[in-house]
Amino acid sequence: MNTDSRNRGRSCTLIYIVLMLLTLVTWVVGRLGLQGLPVTLSVLALALLKGQLIGDWFMGLRNVRGFWRWAILIWLAGVGVLVGVAFFFSSGLH
Amino acid sequence: MQYQSQAVAKLYFTAAIGLFAGQILFGLILGLQYVVGDFLFPEIPFNVARMVHTNLLIVWILFGFMGAAYYLVPEEAERELHSPGLAVLMFWVFLVAGALTILGYLLVPYSGLAKMTGNDLLPTMGREFLEQPTITKIGIVIVALAFLYNIGMTILSGRKTVVNLVLLIGLAGLAVLFLFAFYNPDNLVEDKLYWWWVVHLWVEGVWELILGSILAFVLIKTTGVDREVIEKWLYVIIAMTLITGIIGTGHHYYWIGTPEYWQWWGSVFSALEPIPFFMMTVFAFNMVNRRRRNHLNKVAVLWALGTAVMAFLGAGVWGFLHTLSPVNYYTHGSQITAAHGHMAFYGAYAMIVLTIISYAMPMMRGRKAANSNRSQVLEMWSFWLMTVSMVFITLFLTGAGILQVYLQRYSDTPLPFMVVQEKIALFYWMREVAGVVFLAGLVLYIASFFVGSKDPEAAVEQAASPTA
Amino acid sequence: MTRGGSLPETSRYPPGDLAVWIFILAELAVFAIFFAAYAFTRMQHVALFDQYQATLDRNAALFNTLALVTASYFVVRAVTAIREGRTASARNRLWAAVGMGGLFLLVKGMEYAHHLGEGIRLSTNAFYMFYLSLTFFHFMHVILGILVLMVLAMRTAAGHYSAQSHTDIESGASYWHMVDLVWLILFPLVYVMH
Repeated sequence: MNTDSRNRGRSCTLIYIVLMLLTLVTWVVGRLGLQGLPVTLSVLALALLKGQLIGDWFMGLRNVRGFWRWAILIWLAGVGVLVGVAFFFSSGLH
Repeated sequence: MQYQSQAVAKLYFTAAIGLFAGQILFGLILGLQYVVGDFLFPEIPFNVARMVHTNLLIVWILFGFMGAAYYLVPEEAERELHSPGLAVLMFWVFLVAGALTILGYLLVPYSGLAKMTGNDLLPTMGREFLEQPTITKIGIVIVALAFLYNIGMTILSGRKTVVNLVLLIGLAGLAVLFLFAFYNPDNLVEDKLYWWWVVHLWVEGVWELILGSILAFVLIKTTGVDREVIEKWLYVIIAMTLITGIIGTGHHYYWIGTPEYWQWWGSVFSALEPIPFFMMTVFAFNMVNRRRRNHLNKVAVLWALGTAVMAFLGAGVWGFLHTLSPVNYYTHGSQITAAHGHMAFYGAYAMIVLTIISYAMPMMRGRKAANSNRSQVLEMWSFWLMTVSMVFITLFLTGAGILQVYLQRYSDTPLPFMVVQEKIALFYWMREVAGVVFLAGLVLYIASFFVGSKDPEAAVEQAASPTA
Repeated sequence: MTRGGSLPETSRYPPGDLAVWIFILAELAVFAIFFAAYAFTRMQHVALFDQYQATLDRNAALFNTLALVTASYFVVRAVTAIREGRTASARNRLWAAVGMGGLFLLVKGMEYAHHLGEGIRLSTNAFYMFYLSLTFFHFMHVILGILVLMVLAMRTAAGHYSAQSHTDIESGASYWHMVDLVWLILFPLVYVMH
């Protein structure tokens, strides 16, 4: 039991470091003023990935079966499609 | 009934049912006036009938809420009411003030009533639902304060439960928000803005807390499910209600001269107002499915489930229909609003009051837990008649509304208001017929208090056999 | 507990109270609609959104993102601690998360002070309407989340929870992660993507 939760603790620390690094990447993209649809959609994809990491590891949905296993992913997919479509169609509308 | 003082609720419930009958009678008069414009003119003009219909609704629901509080607060707090005498006194004050006000509406022209009651000293009259003379409004505040004092003292010195606290917050909010009825700015935009703080924040805010706590109480009593489980649901439903309902006020701020951001705030938040109602439906069915016992008062359980379903349909679905600002641009103030208003008020507030009456009244009239089978069956008939006819009233008004919006506002060649009213008269006739059926249901409801009252109480073996 | 493969035991429901999870889904729905509304309104005013997005303080937003993620991490560690029955450690980590949330409020508050000082209001333009609405609605959630964590920390200190019984902590933790999750989308959407 103890080693188990210690392992989980270590995994979460790793996830935490990944989340911090990905956040820095997003910030650097903004900082460099990178533009264009591929950049924008990549930033969105990174955000969705971070969201899924939160859902799986921090919220613990990794160990859940059925609907709740996918609840956060479904939400992220919905947000991703809606926001992605809007940005896709507004690119080049400057 | 565990505490003597709970009995004061009987007075309140009886008055509520009486006023309910009055509301329905005026509803039928009003419904007929839609198609026979001079029916009962000049004795009861359209505007007066409408005022009486809506005011009676509010007053009988308030009587019901107060009765519910007087019944369930002592039981939850596990002590007698702080002052049963004060509760009885306030009942008579409220009833007499209410009756005088309605008589004033019926017997004196409205402007004359305003003059008689000194409206120019503190002008508060003339606004929809808040038509009461200023002196009546002051009376309402006094009654509400005495009521809150009585309930508050009982709760504070007794056992504190989530049901009681949510109910108290709801009732206190009801009283505080009513104070905006006295605020009557000259600027029409501000006037409307604050008017909604009473009207909207009542029915889509604090009243929902009252509804939630009464429903939770009845479910705890009838299903035997652990209080902790029910309380958790209540918390979540209340939180969601407040998040969506308070900012959802914005759906009234689309076209009255308020800033543009309300289009977004109102649309987004009120689009989510069905969620707490949906949770309430899931909650009620879940608790009944997990019941630890089959309560003998089956009709009370039926009312509770009916409330959850009809509140979701009427307040949730029919509200959503016209809440988004691009839709509301066409539909506001049409028969769609009337359709929503009918099913929401009946489904959420009329039915929750009928639920607690159905649960509590048998015990206050000397039964152990429930009425006789014969009485319960009759009450179930009245449930179905009233509920189904209300569904039809809503559908006919929705039909009328869609046609009205199209002919009057959407088509390329819009027609004048009265021309459109002629064209949708068929829907009004059908609505009136459904209204008559509703009245029949109400008659059966009242009859159920007398039929089978000498029969023995519904018994365990009869109650247990038909259910799974 | 079977640990034959690499997969630990799975359960049908997420950690914490199911009612709280339904609440979380409802909240996420609100934010999803707001995000979509932002993106689709931006379609009508691309130049305006890009112009005023540039006036936002991206460094403050970076700091705030790091603060929220760190708070979430502390919350995760607090749950781990209470599952092992280490009450004092759980309490400390909850307070650390509260501290991080407090930093978020402070920095965000300074951003608001700056914008309001420049006379920016909800009615200024469509971008600021969404910027203020979205971030403030989230701000309120951070406040609520902090209050929840504070209550949990105090109750943990008072010995309410143990390795066997700590559903409240799991519920509160899930709620806090939701607040974090929303910000992780909000940050790139409002501050970076153009």
